[in-house]
Amino acid sequence: MSSFTTRADAALADPILKIAVERTAGTAQAKRAIAIDAFPDFEAARTRAAAIKDHVIAHLGPYLEQFEANAIAAGAQVHWAQTADEACRIVIAICKAANAKTVARSKSMLGEEIGLPHALEEAGIGRVETDLAEHIIQLADERPSHIIWPAMHKTSEQVSALFKAKHRTPHEEETIAAMAQSARRELRGAMLGADVGISGANFLIADSGAVCTVTNEGNAELSLVPPRVHIVTAGIEKIVPSMPHAIHMLRMLARSATGAALTQYTTFYTGPKRPGDRDGPEEMHIVLVDNGRTKMREEGLAEMLRCIRCGACMNHCVVFRQIGGHAYGGTYPGPMGAVLTPALDGLAPNRDLAHACTLNGMCQQVCPVKIPLPTLLKGWREKSWREGLEPTSMRAGLSLWAWVATRPALYRLGTAIAIRAIRLLGRNGWIARLPLAGGWTRYRDLPKPAAQTFMNQYKQEQRK
Amino acid sequence: MSARAAILARLQSPAPDASQAAALLGTPERPAVDATNLLSEFLARLALPSVNASHDVIASLTDLPAAIARYLADQHEPLTLCCPPDPRLDVCDWSAFTLHATAAPDETATLAIARTAIAETGSLIFETSPTAPMLPNFLTLHHIVLLPVAAIAAHLEDAPLPGPQPRAHYWITGVSGTTDIEGTYVRGAHGPRFLHVILLRDEFPHISDH
Ligand code: SF4
Repeated sequence: MSSFTTRADAALADPILKIAVERTAGTAQAKRAIAIDAFPDFEAARTRAAAIKDHVIAHLGPYLEQFEANAIAAGAQVHWAQTADEACRIVIAICKAANAKTVARSKSMLGEEIGLPHALEEAGIGRVETDLAEHIIQLADERPSHIIWPAMHKTSEQVSALFKAKHRTPHEEETIAAMAQSARRELRGAMLGADVGISGANFLIADSGAVCTVTNEGNAELSLVPPRVHIVTAGIEKIVPSMPHAIHMLRMLARSATGAALTQYTTFYTGPKRPGDRDGPEEMHIVLVDNGRTKMREEGLAEMLRCIRCGACMNHCVVFRQIGGHAYGGTYPGPMGAVLTPALDGLAPNRDLAHACTLNGMCQQVCPVKIPLPTLLKGWREKSWREGLEPTSMRAGLSLWAWVATRPALYRLGTAIAIRAIRLLGRNGWIARLPLAGGWTRYRDLPKPAAQTFMNQYKQEQRK
Repeated sequence: MSARAAILARLQSPAPDASQAAALLGTPERPAVDATNLLSEFLARLALPSVNASHDVIASLTDLPAAIARYLADQHEPLTLCCPPDPRLDVCDWSAFTLHATAAPDETATLAIARTAIAETGSLIFETSPTAPMLPNFLTLHHIVLLPVAAIAAHLEDAPLPGPQPRAHYWITGVSGTTDIEGTYVRGAHGPRFLHVILLRDEFPHISDH
């Protein structure tokens, strides 16, 4: 049994996890639907957003150079990293040069992707996660399970117990508001005392050299304004040509992620503190990280570089809703994670992620930049097949299927027999047990198949 | 080869001309705003549960201290205020207040001046400068914002000024909130729990005129 299957199995058997995931993902799905209904023409806006990203990805080199020149002109220092390790080394070197004892981090998925939390720990630099969800998982010593709500897998009861064990002055009242206040008390001083603030970037504005962050908590600004040094780690695909392009993407991002018209705090940072400024960092460093992105662009995954990390695809994914984010094993969960993880961490250990998909197409339908996620997943399946990574039972089964499927009469006979056999096992339209499919039917029922095959029904319809 | 050279070598392409990028914008899809009635459009967004701000209207700048005093009294807070070092506020009589320019870690009330505001979203737009620090606006519990009515614009595209950008340009749309625990909304996560906008009907001089 592969590791993904083991993790998914464990997740399916955890009833608390399902409740926790359902509470947040369900709310997110409902709020997004309301926001999109109220928007004048979301479909056209998606097409435009995809075209903007495709344009940037086609001209990524020149745009990066333009961004770099403008950021330097504004006083920032720009660094380039080909790999995750190189990016971490650059960040640690800047921290060491600044004599940093503690850093305040504002949630960044790129930071997670390159393993920055671990690298800081190894370098002996204290790390304060300032996003509430990241704070929760830092205390619990866990990994994020969602790109917008990293602590989605935790119930309020679990968070309450955690804060009571770890906070200096924990909440007394058992309300979510009181828990949030407990974290506010705990984190405020830590943010103000940090030597370095580290953030990601939601967008890099090429024509001004500005870095854009969005948060609802205001923790980015509280983490990035007081320290002497601000470090940004950003994937090279985060570029947009100008502010109006960023604005279009921001409208898409907020609605797709949380159903809001805009995040509460949207900030554009252009270089360090200026003469006479009362606050702001003395130094601003921007680390532009490739970590597999140029390769994705070259090898048929350019469309994936459109991703603006909104999380809509996972909120709407039936598989994610059943197993949560941790089962995916990588930094990024859900449909976008199933496409990204094999690119970032290799196909062989992650080949079964492409099978964690019903190909119902929901992810593609809700994606604000129209990424053909099911097609990209199928691409991984095919590659895995070509490279001989699929297990022999699957290969044997599929070869037999291919042999029969290319002989239409035999195929029709076979499926008709199978349908009759499966219907015998069904009760009230649902099948609770199926020989050879115990892994699927243990935690959920399989719908009883229709009385006839689709092809039979289709032919009858045609005859009418 | 440096990392920079190695990355750029793989991303070679002709430089896009600016008209290509501009053409992609065309007429962007965005919520409709009645441009003849920007104030009421803005106030409607400000009152949405997602923004959750209160407001007051004053005729002239000299009415500002009384309006702030009213708000703080309603909130049962003392007349202590973190005030930006903006010379345009010198015309006001602040004698009833204890004023300071640097915010305390647990600051109660901070005043800030918005350069503009956006009717589309109910956003307040700020920029850093020697007379406009940023941190006090995030540390405070009550964020009190002075906004000249004439400065309200329709869409987010109207927010940035053309030309060189300030050190930080930021949009505030509501109070600090979180949905990180079970998707339940809580206000006052890290920053302000209350946002109060004081709209000024009179003309307000631009900072550079001082
Ligand atoms: S793939 Fe699309 S829906 Fe999923 S996170 Fe990225 S942008 Fe959002």
